[in-house]
Amino acid sequence: MSEAGAIVLEAREVSKVYVSGTVRTRALDGVSLRVSSGERVALSGPSGSGKTTLLNLLGTLDRASSGRILLAGQDVGRLGEAELADLRLARLGFVFQAYNLVPVLTALENVELVLLLQGVRPAERRRRAELALDDLGLGELLHTRPGEMSGGQQQRVAVARAIVSEPEIVLADEPTANLDSKTAASLLDLMQQLNEERGVTFLFSTHDPRVMERALRVIRLLDGRIESDERRAP
Amino acid sequence: MSALFRIAWRNLLRGWRRSAVVLASIVVGLTACFGILAWTVGLGHNGIDLAVRTHLAHLAIHARGYHADSSTDRRIPGDGAAVLSAVEREGLGAAAPRLVGDGLVQTARRNLSAVIVGVDAARESRVSSVPDSLVEGAYLDAAAHRWASRLPPIVVGEEMARRLGAEVGDKLVLRVPGDAGAGAFRVRGIYRSGSSAFDRSFVYVTLADAQTLFALGNAVTEIALLLSDAADAPQVQKRLRGLLAAEPPLEVLRWDERQPRLAQMIELMDQFSWVFYAVVFAAMAFGIANALLMSVYERIREFGLLRSMGLRGSRILLLVLVESFLLTGLGTGIGLGLAVPLVAWLGEVGIGMGWFSQALGEYGFSDRIYPELRPGDFPEPIGMAAATALLAGLWPALRAARLRPAEALRHV
Repeated sequence: MSEAGAIVLEAREVSKVYVSGTVRTRALDGVSLRVSSGERVALSGPSGSGKTTLLNLLGTLDRASSGRILLAGQDVGRLGEAELADLRLARLGFVFQAYNLVPVLTALENVELVLLLQGVRPAERRRRAELALDDLGLGELLHTRPGEMSGGQQQRVAVARAIVSEPEIVLADEPTANLDSKTAASLLDLMQQLNEERGVTFLFSTHDPRVMERALRVIRLLDGRIESDERRAP
Repeated sequence: MSALFRIAWRNLLRGWRRSAVVLASIVVGLTACFGILAWTVGLGHNGIDLAVRTHLAHLAIHARGYHADSSTDRRIPGDGAAVLSAVEREGLGAAAPRLVGDGLVQTARRNLSAVIVGVDAARESRVSSVPDSLVEGAYLDAAAHRWASRLPPIVVGEEMARRLGAEVGDKLVLRVPGDAGAGAFRVRGIYRSGSSAFDRSFVYVTLADAQTLFALGNAVTEIALLLSDAADAPQVQKRLRGLLAAEPPLEVLRWDERQPRLAQMIELMDQFSWVFYAVVFAAMAFGIANALLMSVYERIREFGLLRSMGLRGSRILLLVLVESFLLTGLGTGIGLGLAVPLVAWLGEVGIGMGWFSQALGEYGFSDRIYPELRPGDFPEPIGMAAATALLAGLWPALRAARLRPAEALRHV
């Protein structure tokens, strides 16, 4: 994890154009932003404003048509697919709207998987995964598979998976979209606690007002451009 | 790697119906492959054994040129005793002298061409299965026979007896080419070797009676050698050639040199089994590829997730290949588990060839085939199964490995 206040993620004049046949759609148009360590940032805006596209580019899941993205100072545009995979493994954590857990693995195995890919020894891997799940109130569900859990429980496992390797930043794409209000509030409490107590940096893509309320900085996108960038006091 | 195995294994269990169907096709295909292979090996051994045990023996010593022109004019010098004792002294195998010549078998009603074989009954029983293949009467015990009949004994094949309408105790006349003339014999026994082609051609008389019939004094044309292990034939042949170098010109030939067509036919059957393998494995490959492709399409989002977590494309490729290898490996294991005891059992009881027995008999094969598998028969089909797993899994695996994470995560 980076030192508090250090720039973790930076976008410089980033654009993304999707081409389908003869149709060109500009999803992002010259977006620039910086996210520092310890921040809790929400990317908001209406559907089609480019939130998920920007999150995918910042998370190196997709490549920009133009502009540069720097992750911990490293220009990701210059890296190959295998290097990007290694970078994601070492520095990023993801939480998705649809939880996206590996259905054939238990909660513990899902969380362990990241550590396993990082080459962490089995005993240490298990200890850290159990601790992460326990911290998130999932100690009873270690050996339960995703199909046997509620949506809220699955999303908590996804958060545990995202933070267990202590990444530079956790990118969360509409994390509350599939949750009822009580479960969503509980999840947001958890994320806020992780941010405040452990300094985990969060970047949310959302149009959920509840998420925006919890964010310390809200960046509003409209038609692929940044419309506003507001910071709030904690 | 262990996590990849775990995920791959559980993915196979997740789609257990699909996995079971693919597994069943592999098991059936592989069992059929091993079954066909074992039958082919059994048939080959049956043909070789029958030919070797009836007339070819593993090795045969003749006067030089006999193989090209099998005439009684080409005789082993003397009565062959010197050669025979040299072979026995060296302990190279069981040996028996023979006088082999062409002739006619006559009854009052019919004439049939025949190969007349004069044998030393005691020695012949050590190199040939004919003395033990009698269905009626007895073998060439001249002393016992003389007590029963004034005519010398003859043993004929069942098929020849049927064609001649002859039974044990009937009189037959053997006529040989040239001035030698003819002799009357009494049917002492009727044999069934398993090959109808052999049974209608070969008749057996004592060596002394054959020498009289062909007017050849004490000559023999062949010394047949049966080895305890057929695989030793090339070494023993080499040794014999060295041993007999001092003798007047003799040739030492293996069974496959004397009957190259039989050896070629068995080789051809071996090659045919490869064509069968190729068809079975190609069908298996399409089945596996289809199942894995379906499985990959169903899991595109999951692959996107794994990519987003930092799993490299090469590891995704490996994951799908591991699934392919697990499926094929499991199918191969079960297939082997079924095929080996099945072949072992069939090897004990044999497979009756029913309608095909007559045709097989004409080609020198018996009507009951005992399938068998040799240790050397396993690596190639197992290797082909592994290659099938690799080839069948490669396409779906590449498809999964090349997915862009963002696109895969968007997949519905």
